[in-house]
Amino acid sequence: MTVQHRPNTEELLSIAEMVWASYLDPAGEHPLEVDPVPGPGVTDVVANVAISGAWDGRVLLSFSPLAAKRAAGALLGVEEAEQVGDADVVDAVGELVNIIGGGVKSLMPQPTVLSLPAVSHGAFPELGGEVCRLTGTWNGEPVSVAVHEVAVYVGVSRTGETSQ
Amino acid sequence: MRILIADDSRVMRQIVSRTLRQAGYDGHELVEVADGKQLYDAATAQPPDLVLSDWNMPEMNGLEALVAIRAAGIEVPFGFVTTEGTPEMRKKAEDAGAMFLITKPFTAESFRDVLDPILR
Repeated sequence: MTVQHRPNTEELLSIAEMVWASYLDPAGEHPLEVDPVPGPGVTDVVANVAISGAWDGRVLLSFSPLAAKRAAGALLGVEEAEQVGDADVVDAVGELVNIIGGGVKSLMPQPTVLSLPAVSHGAFPELGGEVCRLTGTWNGEPVSVAVHEVAVYVGVSRTGETSQ
Repeated sequence: MRILIADDSRVMRQIVSRTLRQAGYDGHELVEVADGKQLYDAATAQPPDLVLSDWNMPEMNGLEALVAIRAAGIEVPFGFVTTEGTPEMRKKAEDAGAMFLITKPFTAESFRDVLDPILR
């Protein structure tokens, strides 16, 4: 039986912390504070990127509206988050999920392909197949990150072994 | 030097530009393009001294743009700045003629490591 690695919470946290240290909190003043037990996904600015190939999945990142503006401000080097326009918010949150998705992709069997990111406003999608989720706060505002595995066919080989 | 920065994210193009300055590379002409087709068009219209390109972009991805640029006979130093850091992607990049691959998230130091031999 082939047991395929699935991204876990520790790996996802490690990727998220690297993104925060590089772009969202380079001075180490406002780290991502992760809930000990993940809560519901944050509703509002939701970005996702798909991974397909030897492993099929999806990475979701969501921010509250203010956290999304602050993230865009941090990436652009703009101190006043209110000055950041909606297009830059969408661009920035999409780029962040792209980077996190690239980190998740690198943990999985290859070859895989990363899609372009998509960003929407609304509820955190409950897609099923979730393999790990982080929820928490950044600078007092809610943030969540999740990895979903797309359902794959599970069959039984002629030797009776379960395989994917 | 004229440096072509290709990324479909305007935010990331700004980060790349800022990181170049933080790494100490001031005074270069930075030209931004938003996809691989624009990269190819810009590189063939006026060959730059260096290309820093994302991999995943609409129209034409960075790898396709690199292959097309090389096919046009342009031997500009070309590096990827991308989330795609797997050994398989690095080999694809190298085989197509890329000089280096910087993985996002990156730092000014990671820029200096690969760019000092080109820009100093």
